[in-house]
Amino acid sequence: MSVLDLPSNREEAWRWADLGGIAAAAALAPVARSEAQFLDLPGAKLLFVDGELDQGASELHRVSVGAIAPGDHPLGRRAARGWTLRLDARAVADPVQIVHVATGAENHLGAAIELGDDSVAQVIEGFVGAGWSNRSTSVRLGRGARLSRAVRLTQAAGFVSLRDEIVLGEAASFVGTVLAAGDQGARVDAALTLAGEGGYAEFGGALLTRDRLKQECAVRVRHAEPNGQSHQLWRAVAAGQSQASLAAAVEVARHAQKTDGEQSLRGLLLDRTATVNLKPELEIFADDVKCAHGATVGELDARALFYMQSRGIPAARARALLTHAFVADALDRIADETVRAAFAADAAAWLERAL
Amino acid sequence: MTMLTIDNLHAEIDGKPILKGLTLQVNAGEIHAIMGPNGAGKSTLGYVLGGRPGYEVTEGSVTFDGEDLLDKEPHERAAAGVFLGFQYPVEIPGVSNVQFLRESLNAQRAVRGEKPLSGAEFLKVARAQADALGLQQDMLKRPVNVGFSGGEKKRNEMVQMGIIDPKFAILDETDSGLDIDALRVVGDGINRIMRRPDKAVLLITHYQRLLDYVRPDRVHVLADGRITRSGGAELAHQLEREGYAEVAA
Repeated sequence: MSVLDLPSNREEAWRWADLGGIAAAAALAPVARSEAQFLDLPGAKLLFVDGELDQGASELHRVSVGAIAPGDHPLGRRAARGWTLRLDARAVADPVQIVHVATGAENHLGAAIELGDDSVAQVIEGFVGAGWSNRSTSVRLGRGARLSRAVRLTQAAGFVSLRDEIVLGEAASFVGTVLAAGDQGARVDAALTLAGEGGYAEFGGALLTRDRLKQECAVRVRHAEPNGQSHQLWRAVAAGQSQASLAAAVEVARHAQKTDGEQSLRGLLLDRTATVNLKPELEIFADDVKCAHGATVGELDARALFYMQSRGIPAARARALLTHAFVADALDRIADETVRAAFAADAAAWLERAL
Repeated sequence: MTMLTIDNLHAEIDGKPILKGLTLQVNAGEIHAIMGPNGAGKSTLGYVLGGRPGYEVTEGSVTFDGEDLLDKEPHERAAAGVFLGFQYPVEIPGVSNVQFLRESLNAQRAVRGEKPLSGAEFLKVARAQADALGLQQDMLKRPVNVGFSGGEKKRNEMVQMGIIDPKFAILDETDSGLDIDALRVVGDGINRIMRRPDKAVLLITHYQRLLDYVRPDRVHVLADGRITRSGGAELAHQLEREGYAEVAA
């Protein structure tokens, strides 16, 4: 499969995908292996270097690594191996931390998370290094199962593509947060299906881009059954000549009555040369639903900047505070304090570099 | 001792002249009131002194404590001791009052070569000021001015002034939007924080009523971009009785 064996930008779902960026990342020369850092949490710690498990540096606990059925998605089908987390009913797992280190060129890895009824899990993933890191994750949540997943992209160069296929059973809950705060391009490609009644899905995060990078999310939430709730809260911050794109769709099937869907897409341009694209999309076939959506793009509030400066805060710091406040509500959804603090620190470090 | 000297100040916005040769001197220990009709340039004077982008000085000079004020960035003016109280305090979602004020105070202290205040030290100061101005403690934790009423925003300006403890305050229509009780609280706050031999205030106001609580040493009438008349506190009463058209002409 060649790198460019991907759909073209003429296809609507791939309109803002940076295919050239993926090709360039896959052609990156080898770089030294960067340090992998795990958060101070109990539970499994997996280190993958270019998609290969580093046994010595990993503690698997309940996670296994082996063959995985590749899907048919243009990104997802590239991974034939991966890691699996399977929980029995009512099991509560310690957090699973995964660090993906890339040292140039391309690497592909799959993952399967299968949570039995009423089980609870937390997954934290991080990407460092350089190259094209491509991930395909399939999630199946049983009745009342709860998964929270937080992913941060802090590669120094290259591209990270994520393909997530998430199916929620009755009254299951999924809270996913993605932070792109590195100097890599990104595509967050996800399909969530609320396949049981009363499911709850939150999927959102923040894309921070600068230079000439392109980052995007293309997320589709499908309400197939009644009484479901979904929230998509995305923030995009673009500096320099970069481009950040948010495409979020909600689909409500004919009998998925009493669905409550929310979309909040907001973009912030730090420079007039940057681009933010927003595309909220609603396809509603049921008649008794609530779907709130908002999409705005703007610059930092000049009045607020002057107000802060007049109190003694230097201009660069005032810009950083306002920008951080802009992305904060997307990251506040991370429930675990240690994880939330680490993500906030990544965002702050990005602002420090970009402003 | 002279604190602020404004000499022949000309300023424009988008090429439109607003200040047209304004001259004014404020000594330490004094409170000056600037009064005048709408559109005279009162707020522009405040913004020019604060350094707001878009307000271009085309002629004249402003000296503060012997230094060229116009040469400084807005945050450097604050560190030098200048506080600008806003007519319309800005809402900043996502930044708490506490964080905003601690950042402000410590940024100023850094410029002056002073040690930053710790979180606990800062909270002590902030709570005392909030109490003195009747601002509920929980409003310190809320985002800056978000969801505050007009009166609460103005009290919050005074709390900020109390915490920052500036040498010189320019208060732009701090009395607008206040009911009688709030007016008294804010007036008392200005007296308590700023009525000192080593401090001074420029009180920009449209009405005389705040001057019942904060008695000015000097009153100036600003009309069409310059000071047309100056006098003692009694000038404010005369303006109230006879109107700007009569007195300022």
